Amino acid sequence: MITVTPKALGDVPAPLDLANLSPEQTALEIKNLNLFYGDKQALHGIDMKIPKGQVTAFIGPSGCGKSTLLRCINRMNDLVDTCRIEGGIDLHGENIYGKHVDVAALRRKVGMVFQRPNPFPKSIYENVIYGLRITGEKNRRVLDEAVERSLKAAALWDEVKDRLHDSALGLSGGQQQRLVIARAIAIEPEVLLLDEPTSALDPISTLTIEELINDLKKQFTVVIVTHNMQQAARVSDQTAFMYMGDLIEYSDTNTLFTTPAKKQTEDYITGRYG
Amino acid sequence: MDKINIGRHISGQFNEDLETVINHVMSMGGLVEKQLQDSITAMIEADEALAKEVLKSDYKINEFEVYIDEECSRIIAKRQPAAGDLRLIMAIIKTITDLERIGDEAEKIANVAQESFSKEQRDLLLNLENLGNSVLKMLQKTLDAFTRMDFDAAMKVHQHDTKIDREYEALMRQLMTYMMEDPRSIPQIMSVIWSARALERIGDRCQNICEYIMYFVKGKVFRHTSPEDMKNA
Repeated sequence: MITVTPKALGDVPAPLDLANLSPEQTALEIKNLNLFYGDKQALHGIDMKIPKGQVTAFIGPSGCGKSTLLRCINRMNDLVDTCRIEGGIDLHGENIYGKHVDVAALRRKVGMVFQRPNPFPKSIYENVIYGLRITGEKNRRVLDEAVERSLKAAALWDEVKDRLHDSALGLSGGQQQRLVIARAIAIEPEVLLLDEPTSALDPISTLTIEELINDLKKQFTVVIVTHNMQQAARVSDQTAFMYMGDLIEYSDTNTLFTTPAKKQTEDYITGRYG
Repeated sequence: MDKINIGRHISGQFNEDLETVINHVMSMGGLVEKQLQDSITAMIEADEALAKEVLKSDYKINEFEVYIDEECSRIIAKRQPAAGDLRLIMAIIKTITDLERIGDEAEKIANVAQESFSKEQRDLLLNLENLGNSVLKMLQKTLDAFTRMDFDAAMKVHQHDTKIDREYEALMRQLMTYMMEDPRSIPQIMSVIWSARALERIGDRCQNICEYIMYFVKGKVFRHTSPEDMKNA
């Protein structure tokens, strides 16, 4: 929360007004989203706009619905039989739960990275171009370029450029996670979803990924779920705090971590009993 | 203390760390209060021995300041406090700086008290008694508001500083009259002015501490804010 900006500093951009984002600023708009697993309601009327080209973090205790909400954004929950969804999510103005939406095409636009690195048992090169191969791309030059571009964007190029055809399983955990991110961005998605991307990594690899997230937002809209509150504070521009399936507070990260508006948020981020 | 709500962290060690640092601030506040009280008494009663005692004890306040600073650094490094906890630590770091400065001002007053004044000049020092008592009361109320982290009490004390400023100005006018009437007394009167100035500065420092209390409670910055804006905040 900064209330006074020294005139001598010139124009410092003010935080976004999250409730009133213009359509051009908005990447995702979640509209009154209710989600049920069988009879149990896991998300209660979530309304939020996620701005373009920024990092948005979801935080909250286990079982609060943050991963569920993230998985709604590329319709991963379609794979759960008992799951039922009401309300909608617009990606750049189009409802992703619309009748004629091609889910495979949606997932090309909305990439996802999971908690544990999951490279395929193939070479580093083949891992990166996996998505492009599925779309039928065969031009060697295009593929080579995609590999270099993606690995550079994922800050992995220098470490693997001499062994692109070695097995991806020989990489360290942190390198594998960056490889998975490279694979996700090779198909140039619009949004990148990260589901606790560093929880299986050591602190140094974690910092490398955090640095990478900061670079990635120049090209993509990033949404990250994390258990690590300090990580949310470090990497995100805005933070949403969820509790028992409700969105309790959603504001710019600086405000949320210094002067949260809700007591529940304060109790959670300061590590108090709820 | 209950407003600070420190006892509810899941980590008991964090509760203890915060409780300890708050207790140290209170001990430091008590020490500063005693130093100020003693320096004023030494001045009014021309008690040279007491003035010496004040000068000798200032190091205790300085030690507290350094120690609490280090405690706060440790908490930041180990606990990464957020929200209310973070504001509390920030408020403490700033408060102890002002408390240490209040200690320095008390030292200045004790220095003046040590100077030898003639009977006539001693009457001049008596003029400081009212101002001194007002400032002492203000410091006590400030420390009380800090202990309870009481926003309303802090606001009330904050506004009280205008009264101190008025008393200070009245005293200045009086001292100027003396100087015009008897230029030979100027050196002694200058000493009285230094003391009056020190007391007035203590009022300002108390005001700062009240602003930190208000910042902690409301999460808003109250520095450089007009009294009207403060009330509406």
